[in-house]
Amino acid sequence: MRTIEMLHRSGVGVAPSQTIRAAAAIMEQAGVGSLAVVEGERLVGIVTDRDLVRRALARGLEGDARIDSVMTSPVITVEADDSLDVAYGLFATHGLRRLAVMRGDNFVGMLTIDDLLVALAEQLSSLARPITAEILFPHRDPAVPVAT
Amino acid sequence: MRASVGDRMVIRGHRIGEPNRDCEILEVRGADGGPPYLVRWGDSGHEALFFPGNDAFVEHYEHTS
Repeated sequence: MRTIEMLHRSGVGVAPSQTIRAAAAIMEQAGVGSLAVVEGERLVGIVTDRDLVRRALARGLEGDARIDSVMTSPVITVEADDSLDVAYGLFATHGLRRLAVMRGDNFVGMLTIDDLLVALAEQLSSLARPITAEILFPHRDPAVPVAT
Repeated sequence: MRASVGDRMVIRGHRIGEPNRDCEILEVRGADGGPPYLVRWGDSGHEALFFPGNDAFVEHYEHTS
């Protein structure tokens, strides 16, 4: 069984007091589209690049506003040891693109819907390979001899 | 994953043509060199906590102290 642990990508965390400007710069530097907002060891929220546009820029917030003013909280999470089916269900139910991955009470990374689609595409590809080969290089069983 | 202060964390690009990203480990917050790590990103000087996933690896450096 494939678990979320095998697929999730790195997570980047910032303190709730971090500014929106700094958070945007960290997203750019780290190449991520979302940040975990952590207070000490505790995950308290999640903020995405879309949140920065809709909840900060569009509302005229200053760059030195706190990141927790635009974060989503509480966060929908998934356990690292859960199967991918659990993640499929959460993405489908909540219309999310990212899930915070937890191990117990600890945040350990992010799972994106892209990660699942890539995994699914790889599975489909491996399923299709023998069929493709059969189409391209048909292998016919020898004709059954006819008794005379 | 284990790392030390001063090591470099590299995160592979997620899309074709996307460059790798890297950061410097400033503090190890986990037990026995484990995550999370307080890191500094590139030239910006911004610091953040980093929780490595399958897309990240550590480049260790020799520490003389």
